[in-house]
Amino acid sequence: MCEENKPLMTGNVRNLFTDNTEHTLEEQLAQLAEITQYFATSLNIEETLQNAIEQFLLYMGAEAASIFLLENDDRDLVCRECAGPVNILGLRLRSNEGIVGKTVMTKTCQMVRDVTKDPDFARSVDKNTGFITKSILCTPLLIQGRCIGALELINKKSGKGLFDDQDKHLSMALASAAALAIHNARMADALVEQERMRKELELAREIQLSLLPVPSDTRFPVTGMNVPALEVSGDFYDFFRLDDGTIYFNLADVSGKGMNSALLMAKASSLLHHLAKSINDPGELLTRVNDELCETVSHGMFITIVSGFIDLSKGFITLSNAGHQPPLYHHRNGRFEEIPAQAPPLCILPSMQFPVTIIPMKGGSLYLFTDGVTESLDENNQPLDISGLVKLIQSNPRVTAAKRLENIIAEIRKPNINQRDDITLMVIDCRLK
Amino acid sequence: MNINTREEGGYAIIELIGEVDLSCSPVARKQILACLKAKQDLLVDLSAVTYIDSSGVASLVEGYQTAKKQNLKFGLIGVSDSAMSVLQLARLDKVFPIHANVEERLRADG
Repeated sequence: MCEENKPLMTGNVRNLFTDNTEHTLEEQLAQLAEITQYFATSLNIEETLQNAIEQFLLYMGAEAASIFLLENDDRDLVCRECAGPVNILGLRLRSNEGIVGKTVMTKTCQMVRDVTKDPDFARSVDKNTGFITKSILCTPLLIQGRCIGALELINKKSGKGLFDDQDKHLSMALASAAALAIHNARMADALVEQERMRKELELAREIQLSLLPVPSDTRFPVTGMNVPALEVSGDFYDFFRLDDGTIYFNLADVSGKGMNSALLMAKASSLLHHLAKSINDPGELLTRVNDELCETVSHGMFITIVSGFIDLSKGFITLSNAGHQPPLYHHRNGRFEEIPAQAPPLCILPSMQFPVTIIPMKGGSLYLFTDGVTESLDENNQPLDISGLVKLIQSNPRVTAAKRLENIIAEIRKPNINQRDDITLMVIDCRLK
Repeated sequence: MNINTREEGGYAIIELIGEVDLSCSPVARKQILACLKAKQDLLVDLSAVTYIDSSGVASLVEGYQTAKKQNLKFGLIGVSDSAMSVLQLARLDKVFPIHANVEERLRADG
C-alpha cells in the first residue's frame, strides 16, 4: 500500500490521546473509529503492529504495552511489538504462561489490579528487567473466535495507576480492530508469498521447457510432446543428432511431483544430454548416469527411463529400458510389440548394469510414453491402459507423427476430467529413408 | 489407505491396506521412516494393497535405501498381485527382498 493512500492520524486525535483530561463518549468513539479505519488499511504486518502498539499506549494511557502473538503451532507466545521503558521484543513464553497465557487460554480479558497477589503473574520478567509491574490489563486478540495472541497493557499512568472497567471495554474494542488488522496483514503476506511461488514455478516451467528439444526439421524421425499436470513436470524427453549422424533419444519419468521432481529432472536430463555425446552404448550410458545420480539423490526418488540410439546407416535402434513402461513397437504389418524393462529404475542402486535391446528398423513406429498416458482416466473413471493407447494409435493411421501425438493427447485430456499426472509421448519413425 | 503395525519375529511389520497413492503415501513414508529411525528391522506387508502408484513405490524405495544405510533389515512380504505387477513392470522385484510371509523371511534370514 502506498504511503499516500493511508489515512493519516489527525493532529486533533493525537492531542486527545496525549492529554490527561477525561473524554466524552462521543470523543472516544470518534477516536476509536479513526484508529479502526487506520488499522483496516494497513497490510504490512510489522507496520500494523508498530502502529497498534503506539495507539494503545497513547489511547489507554499505560506505562508499557506489548503485543504477544501465538506461534510455533500455538505452543509459544512471542512478543512481536512492545513500547515502554523495558524492551521485551522477542520474549518467548509458553502459550499458557503468565497472565498473557491465561488470557489466550481462556480467550477472556484479564484485569489484575495487584499483580503481587495474582498466582498467574510471571515474575521472571520483572526480575530480569528491573521493571515493576503493578497492574495489568490483558486482552485477547480474537478472529472469528480464534485467539491469535494478546494485547498486554501495564500500569496505568493516571489516577491510582489502576485499570478500570472502562479501560477494559476500550481495550477490547482496540484489540478487536488490531486483531483484524493483523489477520488482514497476514493474509496479504500469504497472497504475496503465493504470487512469488507462482512466479517461481512459472520460471521453473520455462526452464524445463527450454530443456525439451525443438525439432527444426519436420522430416526428423523423432517427435515428442509433454503436457505437465502441475506447473512443473517430472517427465522429460530429449532427442538430437550426434556428429556421426546417429540420433540419441530418451523419455523418462521422475517419481513424485512438483519442484523436487523438476530439479531431479533437470539434473538427469542435462547429464544424459552431455554424456550421450561421448558414450554411444545405451547400457553404459545409463550406468554412468545412474552412478552420478545415486551419489546425491535422496528421499526415495527414482527415474524410470528408456534411452537409446538410432543408427540410420545400419538400420537399427539400440535401447535400454530402466524400469519404464514398455515402449510399443507398431510393426508395419499392424502388430504391436512391447519392449519390457530389463533393469530397475535409476537412482536406486549404484553400479547397476542396464541390458541393451536391439530393434531392427523394418518400418512402422516405436512409441514411448509415461504412465500419465496409460493411467489417464476416461469419463467412467477407467484407465486408458495399453489396449486403449493401441486403439488410439490405430485410429490415426495416415497423419504426420506430430499430428498423431496431438490427436492422442486431445483424446486423453478430456476438459471435464482433472489431469492427474504428466503426459509425455514420443514416436520414432522406424522407416529407413 | 489404512496402516496396521505389529511386531513379529524381531521385525516391525507395517501393513498397508487399500490404495497407496499420492494422497496417502506420505503417511506410509512417515511410518516406514519412523520405524527405521527407531532402529527396527522392518517388513512392509503389501498383501492388502489394491493399488500402488509411483509415490507409494518411492516410499518403499526410500525405506529400502534408508535401511541399507543404517545396516537394518528391510523387505516386502505378501505382495498382492496388483502391487507385484507394478514392481515387476519396473523390475523392482529384483531390488526388494520379497517373501510370502514373515516365516519365509525368517527362514531366509537363517
